[in-house]
Amino acid sequence: MKEITALAAGALLAIAGATASAQQQGATELTTGVCSACHGPNGHSISPVFPNLAGQQADYIVLQLEAFRGRMRGDPNAQAYMWGMASQLSDATIKSLADYYAAQKPAAGMAGDPALMAEGRMIYTEGMPKEGVPPCASCHQPGAEGNAAFPRLAGQHVEYLIAQLEGFKSGVRANAPIMSNVVKTMSEEQMRAAATYAASK
Amino acid sequence: MRSRSKSWSHMAAVVSVAATALLLAPGAALAVPSFARQTGMACEACHTVFPELTPFGRRFKLNGYTIDNIPQVSGITANREQTLSLNQLPPLSFMFQASYTSLKSAVPDSQVSGALAKNGQVLFPQQASLFYAGRIAPNLGAFVQMTYDGTAAQFGWDNTDFRYARLANDNLLWGISVNNNPTVQDPWNSTPAWQSPFDQRSATAPTPGAAAMIDGGLVDAGVAGASVYFYVNNAFYAELGGYHSAPAVAQIDSTSTNVVSGLAPYWRLAYEHQWDRNSWEVGAYGVEAKLYPGGGQPLSGPTNKFSDWAIDSQYQYIGDQHLFSVLGTYIHEKQTLDATYAVGASSNPSNDLKTVRIGGSYYYQRKYGAALGYFSTTGSSDDALYASGAAVTGFANSKPDSNGWIMELDWVPYENTKFALQYTTYSKFNGGGSNYDGLGRSASDNNTLYVLGWINF
Repeated sequence: MKEITALAAGALLAIAGATASAQQQGATELTTGVCSACHGPNGHSISPVFPNLAGQQADYIVLQLEAFRGRMRGDPNAQAYMWGMASQLSDATIKSLADYYAAQKPAAGMAGDPALMAEGRMIYTEGMPKEGVPPCASCHQPGAEGNAAFPRLAGQHVEYLIAQLEGFKSGVRANAPIMSNVVKTMSEEQMRAAATYAASK
Repeated sequence: MRSRSKSWSHMAAVVSVAATALLLAPGAALAVPSFARQTGMACEACHTVFPELTPFGRRFKLNGYTIDNIPQVSGITANREQTLSLNQLPPLSFMFQASYTSLKSAVPDSQVSGALAKNGQVLFPQQASLFYAGRIAPNLGAFVQMTYDGTAAQFGWDNTDFRYARLANDNLLWGISVNNNPTVQDPWNSTPAWQSPFDQRSATAPTPGAAAMIDGGLVDAGVAGASVYFYVNNAFYAELGGYHSAPAVAQIDSTSTNVVSGLAPYWRLAYEHQWDRNSWEVGAYGVEAKLYPGGGQPLSGPTNKFSDWAIDSQYQYIGDQHLFSVLGTYIHEKQTLDATYAVGASSNPSNDLKTVRIGGSYYYQRKYGAALGYFSTTGSSDDALYASGAAVTGFANSKPDSNGWIMELDWVPYENTKFALQYTTYSKFNGGGSNYDGLGRSASDNNTLYVLGWINF
C-alpha cells in the first residue's frame, strides 16, 4: 500500500513538475513575445513610460499584475496598457512572470544632478520627520533593492518613479495606501530628488 | 483611400501621371478599434494620434497583429501544438468620414462651357470602411479594409495586409506579409501608404498630376505582393518582396492599364533608435517595375520601366503632455519609357521624377494638434507627357512640377474621433504658377480648404 501511495505521489509530483515547467515555458514565451514589446528584452525597457522589471521583487510584480487584472491600479498608463494585458492572466502565469523578471539582472543605477542627489539622499535615508515623511530606506532598503511587496527602486527610470509618486499624491494610483500617505506633503522637487537618488542605487 | 479607376486617358495611364485625385491622397485609417478590443489596450498604446504608430504600435504590426488579451477559441494537437487561436468575436471595426471641400476658385463645369462647377462640396460619407483587423491563428493576423468610396459611389477592396510573424528569440522577429499596396506593410509613417501628418486629403479637390509608382502609381494599377521581413534588436529592419498585377477585374488584357510584367521587386531597409521618450528612424525603400501600358495596347512587346528609390526618416517624441513628430521622404524615379516612346506618347525615351515631402505635427495631450508640411515634385520636361490645354489637369512648360504647403489644425475629443481643418496652398501646379493649364487657371486657384470629421468604432 505504501508503495502504491509513494508511486501515486511520485506520479502526481511528476505531473505537477511538468505543469510547472510548461507554465514557466509559457511565461517565457509571453515575456519574449508580448511583455518585451514595452518592457524590453529581459525586462530592460527604453521608454520611462514603461518600468524596468529586471530584478524587481517577485511579490511586488504579483501584487501589481493582480491589481491590473482586478482594475485596482488605475493610473493612466496602467489603464491604457496593463488592464488589457493582465486581464487573461492566470494566478500561475502571474507567478511565473514574476519569478522570471525577479531572476533577471537589474539595470545599473545612474547618478543624477549632485544637488538633487544630496537632497534625495537625505529624504531617502532620514525621511522628512517634520512633514511626516518616513525614510524611504525603511521599506525599500538602504540599497533600494526593495523587499517582497516593497518594490526595487534601484536602476528604475527616474521619470517613471516620479510619475508613480505623483499618481499616489493625486490619487490616480490608489493601490498602495502606505505610499498615498507618505507622499501627501512631498513637493514636486522633493519627489524628483528622492526618485533620482533611489534610481541611482 | 484608393480607387482603381481605369478610365484615365491613354497618356495619363501610360505614365505615372495618373490619377489627379489619388496623388497625395494615400491611406485611410490604420486606427482600428478591433485591435483595441483584442488587446484590451487603449488606442494611445499603438498610436500617437491615429493613424500614426508609436514604437509599440510598430511592434504590434510587425508581430502580425496577434497580441491578444481576450478569450480565444483554441485548438491543440495531441502533441500540445497549438493549431488555433481565434478571437471569440470577429475583430470588426467601422470607420466613417465626412468632409467639406472648398477650392479658392471653382473648377469649370464638366458640361457647360464657360460655367463653373459648384464650389464647396460636402461628402457624406467621404469614405466609410469596414475592417476585419485582428488575430486569425497563433501567428497569423490580418488587416483587411473594405471601403465605400463616396466619389465613386461603390464598395471596393482597400488596404489589405495578411501577416505571419514569428519571434526567433528575444532579438529577432521575422514575418511574411501578403498585401496589395507596396508600403502598406511598412511600420513607419514616413512611407507613402500611411504617410503622416497629412494622411487624409480631400477626395474631390484637384491634386498634381505626376507621382512616382511607389507613391501611389502601383496601387492604382492594382497589385498584390508578398514580402519577407526581419526586425533585429528592435532596431534594424530589412524587407524584400515582389508585386504582381492583381486588379479586381475578370480578365487582364489590353483594356487594363499599367500591367506589371513579371514581378516587381520591392525592398526596404531601416534603422530605428529609441531613447527615453524619443524614437528616430532612417531608412530607404524602392521598387523596380516593368509595366505594359495597356489602355489599348496589347500586353506584349516593349515595357515602361520605373526604377524608384527613396529615403525616409521620422522622429517622434511621445510625452504625457506633448507629442512631436517630424516625418519626411524623398523619392527618385527613373522612367525608361520604351513602350510609351515607341507610340509617340512621350517625347523622351526616359524621364525622371523627384518628390520630396516633409511634415511636422504637434499635439497637446493627444487632443489639440497642429501640423505643417511642404511638398514638391519636379521632373524632366516632356512635351507629349505633360501637355497643355486640358482644363485643370493640363500642364505648363511641359513640366510635371508642383509644390506648396499644407497646414492643419486637429481636435481629437476622444481617442477614436478626429476633426481636422486643413488648408493646402500651391505655388506651382502641373508645371506652372499662373495659367498653368493654358486656359487661365492659376496654381493658387487649386488652394483647398478641407474639413474632415472621422470616427472609428
